[in-house]
Amino acid sequence: MVSTVQNTDVKQKESDHAVVVAVASRAVFEPEAQGGDNVYAEGVAFPLLQALQKVNERLLEENSAESLLFDIVLITTDSQQQQQSSHLISSTKHYGLEVSRFCFSTEEDFIESLLQNNVQLFLSTDRNEVSQTSQKGVLSALLDEYTTSCPSEQLRVLFCRDAVIRPDTNPTPASRQAAQSFSAQLGKMRQRFGMSDSPLSIALMTSCGGRDSCGGALRTLRSLGISVDEAYCLAGSPRGPILSVLRPHFVLSDCFSGLED
Amino acid sequence: MSLNTGQSLTVSGQDLTKNGSSSRAPWEDARTVLKPSTPTRKPKPPKPENAITIAVSARVLFTMEKEQQIYEQQGMEDYIKYQVEHETEPFSPGPAFSFVKALEAVNTQLRELYPESEELFDVVLMTNNHANVGLRLINTINHHQLFIERFCMTGGNSPIGYLKAYHANLYLSADPIKVREALEEGIAAATMFTPEKIMEVSETQLRVAFDGDAVLFSDESERIYKAHGLDKFFEHEKAHENKPLDHGPLKCFLEALGKLQKKFYAKGQRMDCPIRTYLVTARSAASSGTRALKTLRSWGLEIDEALFLAGAPKGPMLEKIRPHIFFDDQMFHVEGAAEMGTVACHVPYGIAQRVTKRGIWDKDTSSAPK
Repeated sequence: MVSTVQNTDVKQKESDHAVVVAVASRAVFEPEAQGGDNVYAEGVAFPLLQALQKVNERLLEENSAESLLFDIVLITTDSQQQQQSSHLISSTKHYGLEVSRFCFSTEEDFIESLLQNNVQLFLSTDRNEVSQTSQKGVLSALLDEYTTSCPSEQLRVLFCRDAVIRPDTNPTPASRQAAQSFSAQLGKMRQRFGMSDSPLSIALMTSCGGRDSCGGALRTLRSLGISVDEAYCLAGSPRGPILSVLRPHFVLSDCFSGLED
Repeated sequence: MSLNTGQSLTVSGQDLTKNGSSSRAPWEDARTVLKPSTPTRKPKPPKPENAITIAVSARVLFTMEKEQQIYEQQGMEDYIKYQVEHETEPFSPGPAFSFVKALEAVNTQLRELYPESEELFDVVLMTNNHANVGLRLINTINHHQLFIERFCMTGGNSPIGYLKAYHANLYLSADPIKVREALEEGIAAATMFTPEKIMEVSETQLRVAFDGDAVLFSDESERIYKAHGLDKFFEHEKAHENKPLDHGPLKCFLEALGKLQKKFYAKGQRMDCPIRTYLVTARSAASSGTRALKTLRSWGLEIDEALFLAGAPKGPMLEKIRPHIFFDDQMFHVEGAAEMGTVACHVPYGIAQRVTKRGIWDKDTSSAPK
C-alpha cells in the first residue's frame, strides 16, 4: 500500500518544472540511533540533502521565481520505517530539511510509488533497490561510502563513462532516456550559475579509457546541454584514490550507453 | 560498425559492453576495430604504483600566454568562451614540452629492452582548468602526438589531493603557490619558467640537471653560509665531510631516475644511457664539493656529471650541458639559466626563500587556471 504525506513546513514545488529526487529515508536517517525527542540521527545521505537544498537556495537567489528546482521526496521502502512514520516526519522537520513529501510503501510497491510521484532520480544505499528501479526505467544511483564525506555546500555529480557500477544489469532504453532527461535538466540548472562559485559541480570520469574516450564523453555531454566542470581521465589507474578526493555525492553512468560517437 | 549491442561482457567487474568506438585505444575494448585514422597501436599506460609519475600543468606543457592574458584582464567567463571558440586550434609547445618528449623517448627505449615492464615514465596532465578547456587540450595532445592518457582537470579545485592519489613523483607548474603546497605535502615540485630563447636539446637522451643544496640536499649548509658567510661555510663542510647531508625535496626524483638508469646499464648501455643526470652546484671541487659527493654515495645514488662552479654563474655551463630541465632553489640562478635558454625550474624550499628580496612568487596567481 502506498501513501504520500505532504510536508506542511515546506512550500510545494511546481510539478511540471521541478526535478523530483527521491531519497531512501534509510539513507537520510539512522533509524537505530535516536537522539533525544525521538529524533533520528543523521544518516550517510545527510550532506547530500543539504547540498540539494543549497542548490535550490542559490537558484532562488538568482531568480526568486525559479521553477527548475529540486523537489525532494523521502521514500521508505520497508515496513519497519513505515511504522515509525511520525518519527520520520518529525525528524525531517526537526532538521529543517526541505523535503516536500514522504512516500510510505513496502519492498513490493515502492517502485510504483516512484512512478506515481514522477521521480526522476532515485537514490539509495541499497544495491538491490537501485538495480530493480533502474530495470523499471527510473534513473537511480547508489549512495556509497563516498557519500558520507561529501560536502554539504556544493552538490557534486559525477558522470562516469565505462565503469559500470552495477555489472549485473544493463541499462534499458527507458533508463537511458531517463538518464538523458535528468542530465539535461541538471545541465540547465548548472547554466544558472557562473563558472566559479557554483553550488553544483558536474564532473566526468573516464575510468578505463584514455583521452579520446574522455573527449568523446565530453562531446556527448555537451550535446545533451551539459557543461562539465571537472574531468578526470584515469586510463586504468585505480578509481578509489581519485574518488576519495573527488567526493561525488552520486555517480551516473547510464547516459553514455548507446550514445557512442 | 556496431558490435555487441546490449550484450554484457564483464571482466573483473568492469563492463566492456559498448558499441565499438574507434576513437578509443585498443586496450579499452578488445573487439574494437581501428579506423584508418588511428594507425598506431597505442601502448598501454603503466599502473601508477609501478611508474614514475610526472604531473605537469597545462601552462607549462603548452603556451597559453594569450589565453592567460584574457583570463587576467577579462575574467573567467571570457577566458572559457575564448578557449571553446578556438577549440580546434592546438596550443604551441610550452617549456615542459621537450622534457615530456624526452620522457617518451626514454619510454620507447625501455619498452624495447623490457617489453613486459611497467617501470616507465607516466605523464599526467594536472590542471585546475575548467573541463570546458578539455577538448582543446585533448586536441592539442593529439596534434603533437604526445602519449598523455591521464589527466585531472579540477575546475578550480586544488590539485594536491590528486597528486597524492597518483603518487606523483614530480609536479611541474607555472603557479608557485601550488608548487609550495605540493612541497609541503612531501611531493617533489618546482615552478617552471619559460626560457628567453630556444635552446636545442637532445631528442633521444633525457638530461636532468640539479642544484645541490636545498634541491637534492637539505638547506642545512646553506643556512650556515647565509648566517655566517663563505669561510664559515667551507670550514663547516670540511669538518663534516663524512657526515651525509640531509635529503632535499628532489632527492627521490633523482633516485627514481637512477632506478631507470640501472635498467639500461643492465643491458650494457652505460656509456650511451638514454638518461643522464648532472649536479650543477656553486660548491667548489676542492673543498665543499666532497661532502656533496660523499652524501650521494651514502644514499647509493649516482650522478653522471658533477659540476662544481665555485660560485661562478650557472647559465654558461648549462648552455653546454643542454638539459631538458634544471632545478634550483634560488631565483637568481633560475633566471640566469632561463636567460641563456635553459628550461629552469624554481624549487621554493629552504632558507633562500626567506632571505631573497625578489618577490616573484608573491604575485597572486592562485586562482588562474594552469
